[in-house]
Amino acid sequence: MRRAFLTGVMRLVAIMLVASFLGAVLLRVAPGFSSDQQELATGLSSKSIQAIRQERLADSNIPRFYAHYLGALVRGDLGRSLSLNQPVKELLRERLPVTLRSLGFALLAGWLLGLALAIGATTLAPRLLSPVSEGLSGVFISTPAAALALLFVLLQLPPAAAAALLVFPKVYRYSRNLLDRSYEMPHVLTAHAKGAGRWRILFWHVAPSAWPQLIALLGVSVSIAIGVLLPIEVICDVPGVGQLAWHAAQSRDLPLLVNLTVIVTFLTVCATTLSDTAYRGFIRSAT
Amino acid sequence: MKSVRLIAVVLLIAAGLAAAAAPLIAPAGYEQQFRATPDARPSAHHPLGTDELGRDRFARLLYGMRISLIMAPLAALLTTGLAALLGGIAGCFGGWTERCCMFLADLVLAVPWLFLLITVRAALPLNVSPEASAAVTFLLLGLLGWAASSRVICAGTKSLMQSEFVWTARAAGFSGFKLVRLHLLPNLRGTLLAQFWISVPVFIIAEANLGALGLGVSEPLPSLGSLLREMQSFATLRPEPWRFFPIVVLILVVTSFQVLLKKQEVRA
Repeated sequence: MRRAFLTGVMRLVAIMLVASFLGAVLLRVAPGFSSDQQELATGLSSKSIQAIRQERLADSNIPRFYAHYLGALVRGDLGRSLSLNQPVKELLRERLPVTLRSLGFALLAGWLLGLALAIGATTLAPRLLSPVSEGLSGVFISTPAAALALLFVLLQLPPAAAAALLVFPKVYRYSRNLLDRSYEMPHVLTAHAKGAGRWRILFWHVAPSAWPQLIALLGVSVSIAIGVLLPIEVICDVPGVGQLAWHAAQSRDLPLLVNLTVIVTFLTVCATTLSDTAYRGFIRSAT
Repeated sequence: MKSVRLIAVVLLIAAGLAAAAAPLIAPAGYEQQFRATPDARPSAHHPLGTDELGRDRFARLLYGMRISLIMAPLAALLTTGLAALLGGIAGCFGGWTERCCMFLADLVLAVPWLFLLITVRAALPLNVSPEASAAVTFLLLGLLGWAASSRVICAGTKSLMQSEFVWTARAAGFSGFKLVRLHLLPNLRGTLLAQFWISVPVFIIAEANLGALGLGVSEPLPSLGSLLREMQSFATLRPEPWRFFPIVVLILVVTSFQVLLKKQEVRA
């Protein structure tokens, strides 16, 4: 368990370093990096414009920029947003809780709905619930986040609920497959033949073999939820990290975008590392 | 279930034919403006009305579908090729080669896809032509979408490399390209096809999201995604339900692709 955890942490560090470096390279080589929109301000003197250009030039050397960036990151300094003229740390302090709240709600509601429908369709009323849940998951898995966000704005519904509806199909399909396979296992068939009740079979025989794999899905669902929250936050005007990333991408704000990439990657890889470690731990303790 | 699959096939054929025959069916070109009738209601001349610039919505939907239905399979082909290359190399050689390839896949999978796409798409020049923007958008999708598929292909290749017939072939002197062409590729064909068909609806959805954020295909060229962006004038949508038609078409097309994917393919 400890070895798996340490491997996961090393993977996390390696991925974060490479991801942030690639982000820096990408934005550096992007056209328009050497110019700054602040230069367009009419009230600026030639000295001020020269100072802006010098500041921009200092950032143009990628390894140097990246070395400075990592050093500052260790000291807890995330730099300053070029477009919003605010410290990135401050922007994140304002926006991250909003996204984390939406993320928490989307994951909780998406998982509850997905699991409830999967259990209902396999255990309670397969004939009635199976076509309904298959249809619902089919529709939501085929709906772009932006289209659903648009409908939610029109219907004045909470944006996090849209994210939950986009997370649920993955949870439903995966857990449905898992439950279907678990119900076909010999010990479950034996329990059924011996007359055990449906809830007893579910909780005593099916769930113990299925839930470690569901934990592994938890990490993946965090990544899905973060991905769908981006267009939802932009279209529903939610002041979260997704909207900030969108703004940063549009204004080519290097420090902001690199930091957001690192933080989002960190959240995602943390979630997958934890869920993978937990999964391996359960498998090892079971064997 | 058979009838649902049949409906899906019919819908996809209808969408494909409508998109292919867009110049014949559409009442006007996608960029032709009817300046006397902007924001017109549906009529015999304009079945879905006109947008605020006076362009025929039905024509734009047909041409938009054309872009998405042609470009998404091309991007899926590219992504499947890349996944086959990297996954195949990783599965064949194993060891450090596999670890390096899978680390690359982990890296791409670690960053939520849309984040990665908007970052890369935003870094590209702004002054590209609409046609180039469509090509760039789907090229990016093709280049960034291989990671999950490569893991599946790597697992498939590894299992094939340990199978008896591959051992026999290697003992008989088969190696390199001959082994890949005669033994690995024919046996991986099902997996590759599944990955291709899984990628097509994923790319249509991804383009729709990018288009809605203004980072997809640029004006005046329409795509299913850029039509979503046109819908963002919320106040006028409620009394004009026909404006939702592109969303309905988009969902129907993607659902049809999903229905056609077999359960086992979805599992993979």
